[in-house]
Parts: sequence; structure tokens; C-alpha cells
Amino acid sequence: MSKHRSGGVIAAALWATSAMVPALAADMTFERALNADKEPQNWLLHHKNFQGHRYSTLNEINAASVGKLHLTQVLALGGLESGGRYANGNLEATPIVDDGMMYVPNGWGEVYAIDLTSGRKADIKWKMDPGIDRAWAGDVACCGVNNRGVALWKDKVISISLDGRMFAINRATGEVVWERKIADPALGETITAAPLILRDLAITGSAGGEFGIRGWIDATDLNTGKQVWRTYTIPGKGEPGNETWKDGKDHWMHGGGSVWVTATYDSSADTFYQGIGNAGPDYDPEYRPGDNKWAASVLALSPADGKIKWGFQYTPNDPYDFDEISEHPIIDVAVNGSQRKLVTHAARNGFYYSLDAVNGSFVGGRQYVDRLTWSKGLDPKTGKPLEYDPTLDVQPYVVNSHPTRANPKGALKCPVTSGGKNWEPAAYNPDLNLMYVPSAEGCNMLEGKPQPDFVDQGGTAKPRDRFTAGSANYPADEPLYGSLSALDPVTGEIKSKVKLQWPNWSGVLATAGGLVFTGHMDGEITAYDSKTLKEAWSFNVGCGIMAPPITYAINGKQYLAVLAGPHWLRPKPAALKDQGACSMLNVFTL
Amino acid sequence: MKWGRGRFARGAGYILVASVVCSGVFSVGAQAQTPAAEDARTIEFGKEIFKTKARCQYCHKWDGTGDQGYGGNALSLRKTQLTPDQLAMTVKCGRPATEMPFHDKFAYTDRRCYGMTREQAGGSMPPEPNQYLQAGEINAVVAYVFAKVVGRGDPDYDECVDFWGKDTRQCEPLKK
Ligand code: HEC
Repeated sequence: MSKHRSGGVIAAALWATSAMVPALAADMTFERALNADKEPQNWLLHHKNFQGHRYSTLNEINAASVGKLHLTQVLALGGLESGGRYANGNLEATPIVDDGMMYVPNGWGEVYAIDLTSGRKADIKWKMDPGIDRAWAGDVACCGVNNRGVALWKDKVISISLDGRMFAINRATGEVVWERKIADPALGETITAAPLILRDLAITGSAGGEFGIRGWIDATDLNTGKQVWRTYTIPGKGEPGNETWKDGKDHWMHGGGSVWVTATYDSSADTFYQGIGNAGPDYDPEYRPGDNKWAASVLALSPADGKIKWGFQYTPNDPYDFDEISEHPIIDVAVNGSQRKLVTHAARNGFYYSLDAVNGSFVGGRQYVDRLTWSKGLDPKTGKPLEYDPTLDVQPYVVNSHPTRANPKGALKCPVTSGGKNWEPAAYNPDLNLMYVPSAEGCNMLEGKPQPDFVDQGGTAKPRDRFTAGSANYPADEPLYGSLSALDPVTGEIKSKVKLQWPNWSGVLATAGGLVFTGHMDGEITAYDSKTLKEAWSFNVGCGIMAPPITYAINGKQYLAVLAGPHWLRPKPAALKDQGACSMLNVFTL
Repeated sequence: MKWGRGRFARGAGYILVASVVCSGVFSVGAQAQTPAAEDARTIEFGKEIFKTKARCQYCHKWDGTGDQGYGGNALSLRKTQLTPDQLAMTVKCGRPATEMPFHDKFAYTDRRCYGMTREQAGGSMPPEPNQYLQAGEINAVVAYVFAKVVGRGDPDYDECVDFWGKDTRQCEPLKK
């Protein structure tokens, strides 16, 4: 490690003089983060760049060479312990790579620093175990034991743990410099998103939309480990948007709006774009008449003070659990002859959207999933579902597509509760101007149960209880499958699409090698042609993949890395039943 | 755990436990009795299945009070009226047209479950389980449910600690 650290100063100097010199492990600065694309050998930020493109200009692995891609390093990352409702932890993280060192957490928030430079053995330099109370945290994780990644800041690694803490870790030694308790599992709050670091602030948010939380986004001053601001995603009394909670019983106080995927950031406007989760309770919209801002929305916020600049709500009065937490890639494109900056989103509700980055007005969008039955389409002016009626307190959308108190059993509706695209990230190839959207495909039914009030509002629902007002059910004769689509990023027009055997939980990497990569629940990792989406290469790592692939280079040689460590919320399909649990880092090269 | 899983793979062990359950020793009233050491081991073994292997608690909650959300509207096992045989049948075969999974690997390959094959169950086919269970494991989980869950009122702190142990804050909300 001493070699690694002492190189930093020299590297910074070299970096200043020539972008061609491969950077050694310099301290992570805001300047480097803003220019992450100029260090193609590194994967410095969660979504590769602040704009959320997950696009690498590395092209040694390309359509012609990809056939030679083979496994070169594997490493067991642990974290398979049970906790709370879960039989084991699992892997959803996007690793960070800087100068041949990888920083990656497992589901229980154990952070690994791994030296990859030998190209052979993946050499663990240190591991930081946050010492989680697994039952306590795991019992209020809605959807598995997850941790989607760490971030770099100066000479520290910044990580989070499911039980709601943030850690600043000495990057050379793995020693915890400070920790801050941010979210409180006693309230059903957990943290799973990789922190977004802007200047000296670490921005994160609370998951827990199925447990009666009131969601928030929170900034920590990394110099002190103290809170700078917290913005609730569900506006309080007197704040704009609070009037969209019309129950008269302050149900907004448990209104959901969780945050569990890293936001994108536009430096020219100094604005970050955060996807916001479902309204709570999930399936009883009559409990919370009104549009329920800012659940199922995107918010544009100012990093310095957390002020909301604008918001756009995808599914007002959301009765489906259409949690819109996932990333919002920012693109610069020509629209009808003029250059515009757009914020885009492949929504869990099955529609793709592009919005004006300055004011959030709707620019374009359409359905990208095979079947979408809850709405007939988007209003071309407003981008709202065609059925949306602002004069109504409870939105029926397509009748019987969700439960009502009068008719608690909803009919088959598509897409399935989990989406459409869930958290698994899309990728954007700016040269081809294509957005690659991974997705689940299929349908299910919702069954409602009237939600009792919370104990602090005179009812019986307790903190840490599931606050969902019903359940999702699945037809046995229509198994879910998946898809990967290449979309026009302005209109959402499907340019090509490939059907996948399994719902996609991995996310996409796009490269200048003319390829896009994604993993599959049966352990395949596949490269597709970036225009036709024809399969170009595939390999099976023997264990399900639900983490995003990344690429980087060491001494000029390109690598592809992906974690394998699946979990199933619903019982595993029979075909994958006998595959054991795993927790593996897999690295490929030519 | 001394009572290894291998024990159930052997015929004698399985028959022993099966007969205990089928003869109704673990009936609603069983909690009043002090189970013998052998029974205590069976119950403890069943608890691990309930907690981790079959993940019954993911859907029914650790205390079996029933739950909602991602595992269907799972009924309360505290309030169930089922007999041990019926409960064992429910675990083996699941509940058609609900999210209650079957756990017998060969369920619906013949007519052992409600007289139906997979084809006949069609769209009502119950979901696959987290893991398949052998007959002995099913008997153990049934023994556990009747010993610690069925017929009980609201869960208390001691029951919670019994389930989760003392090394977690999990039971703090139940502290008086
Ligand atoms: C994936 C979720 C899930 C899992 C896992 C699960 N159950 Fe269930 N269970 C349900 C649902 C949903 C129902 C309600 C079915 C209905 O509506 O009749 C149910 C019903 C039952 C019933 C019927 C209760 C009654 O009074 O009719 C029993 C008994 C039961 N489960 C026991 C178990 C046991 C024991 C396990 C573990 C071996 C288990 N369940 C695992 C979801 C689940």
C-alpha cells in the first residue's frame, strides 16, 4: 500500500501535464470527478460519469476481439450470512476502480480494496467490516441485503451500510476515520445507494418505502462527518406539494418516497437529479387521496442546500408500487434542430421519458416494455398518463388494473410490480446516441388490504411493520422474462430490442468497442452488438448476476468486471433452484 | 447443531418424527407440555427451516402473525385452524392460486397434492419454494409451528429473543 499512496503526489503532477499518462492513484478530487471520462482506464464514479452514462471509450475489447474474452481473476467476496428476513446477503454493487485498485462492498457493507494489477490473482489489500446487527437491518430491508457501491473522496473511501451508517475509510489502510448514523432502522429506514459525492458533500437517501417511512435525501460534510442538510421527498405542512396529500390525517408523515439509487449530476447547472420511490402504503391509494408528491417522481435539487428546483411526477397517486428511484441519465442532444440538455428515465411504470433539464417539462417518451396495460399512453403535452385526471383524488387509470377498497383483487396488469426497469442501470452511447434499457417483462396482479393507521396517528401499524396495504401475486402460467432495448434517447423509439430468458437485474455497460454488456440470473454475462443487439459473446460464471458490469484498463490492457451473487425475492424458478448462493468477483480480459 | 440434516435422510429418523406429528402429539395443546430432548431438537431444527432454509418468516413474519407485501397476503399461523396433518399438507403442496409455495420437490408430478398434476393446476400452480424440503424437514417445521406459534396471542419479548437471540436489537421494540 505504501507504494500505492506515495505515487499519488507524482500522479497528480503528471495528470496536470498530460492526459495521456496513466494516472497513478491520485487523491480523488471534484476536478477528477467532473472529468471522469478523461480517465478511461479508471471507473471513478458509480455511473462512470456524473451524467450517468455507464459508457467507456475503451475499445480493445470490441466486436472483432470479443471472442477472445476469458476469465482471468475470480475472488470470493463473502457476505453470505443470513440476517432478518434473508437467508443470505447478495451482490448488487458497481465497483470503483482507480489505478488498478478496486473498491467494492458486499451486501452487508463489508468494503474490499483489491489490487488487480497482477492481472492474475485478485489480491485483497484490506477489508473493512462495519459490524452490522444483521437481524435488525435485514428485517426492514424490503428487497434483499443490498449495497450498491462506495465512492472515493480525497484519500478516503466513503461507504454506507444497510443499518443506516456512513463511513469514511482511510484508502491506504482500511481504517475507519469516522462514521455517521444517518438512517434509523427503528423507523424502517435503511441505506443501500452508493453515495454521490459533490465537492465535499456525500449525498444519500433512505430506503424503506414498504415500511411507512417519510423519505429524504441527506448531505454529509465529508470534512466533519456531520449533516449539512436533509430534504424530505414528501413535503411537510406549508411546503409546496403537501396539498397533494388530501386525506386530512397527515398521512404524508408515512408517505414513502424512498431514495435508493445514486443520482446523476449536471455541473453546468449545478443540479442533481434524484429518482424518488413509491408512495406508502403501496396498494391502497384511497388511504392517501391526492397526487402524493413527490412519490414516483424525479426531483432536481441544488447540492449546496438541498433546495428543490423542480419535480416531475411519473405516476400520480401511484397505486402500483412504481418506485422511480432509478438513475436519470443526462444527455446533450439536438431536438428539432436546437441543442438541448435532457434528463431521461426508463421508468418502472413501463414508459421511457425525456425531460428538459432546466425546468422538467416533458419532451418525449413512450412505452418500452412489451406489454403495458395500466395506461393507454402518455399525454404528448404533459407526459402524464392519458387517464390522469387532476380533478380526481384517487386515480383509477385503466379500470381494475389495481385494487380498490370496493374491489380488492386487481386484474392482471403489466408491467409487473418490479417493472419495467428497476434499479439496474441503463447505459448511453453518445456516439450512436442510443440508450440501452435493461428490463423485466411480464405481468402480475395486486391484491389490496385497507391500511390501518400508524400507531403515532392513533392506529395499529407499528414502525418496522410492512406498510404495503396488500400484496403482489403472480400468474403461474406466464413466467416473467427480460429484455434489452436500444432506444432513441429523446423519443424512446425502440431501435432494436432483444428478448432475454430472465428478468434483467444486472444493468448495462456500453463501450466504444461497439458492444453492450449485461449479466443474467442464470450466470451468463453477454456482449451484444451495440447497433443490432445481436449476441457477440457470452460466458457463464455459474452463479446469477444482479450487479452491473464495468470496464477499466491496467497498463493499457482492458478488463471487464462483474459481481455474481444473486437473490430472489420471489421463490427461485425451478430451472435455477439448485444453483447455490455465491458471492464472487469475476474479471475478464482478452 | 447436533441434529444434522443427515439424520432425516435416514429412514428411521424420518419415520420417528413423522409418526410424532401424525399422531398429533404436537397439537395446539403441545405447548403446555415439556417436550422431551428429542422433540426439543426437532423443534429447534424446524425453527431453522422456518427462519432460513424455507424462509417461512419472509412471508409470515418471524412470529407467524402473517404479513403482506412481497410474499402475498400470508395468513396468520398463530390463528390457523389447521390440524398438523393439514398444515403439513399445506407446506408440501402449497396453496393453489396463492403465493404459498409447495415444498415437496415432487408435488404435482403425480396426484399427491389435491389430486392435481402441474398441467391440471395450470395458472393456479403454487410457486416454487425457496428450497425443497424432505419429509422429515416438513415434519420438523410443522412441529416447530405447533410448538411455538399456533394458538398463541400477540408475540412477546421472550418469544422474540427465543427466535432471534440476544445479540440483536431486533426485540427492543417489544421490551416493556
Ligand atoms: C413466498 C411467501 C410464503 C412462504 C415462503 C411461505 N408461505 Fe405460507 N402462506 C403464504 C400465503 C400468501 C398464504 C395464504 C394462502 C391463502 O390465501 O390461502 C400462506 C398460507 C399458509 C398456511 C395456511 C394457513 C391457514 O390457516 O390456512 C400455512 C399453514 C402456511 N402458509 C405455512 C407456511 C410454512 C410452514 C412455511 C415455510 C415452510 C411457509 N408457509 C412459507 C405465503 C408464504
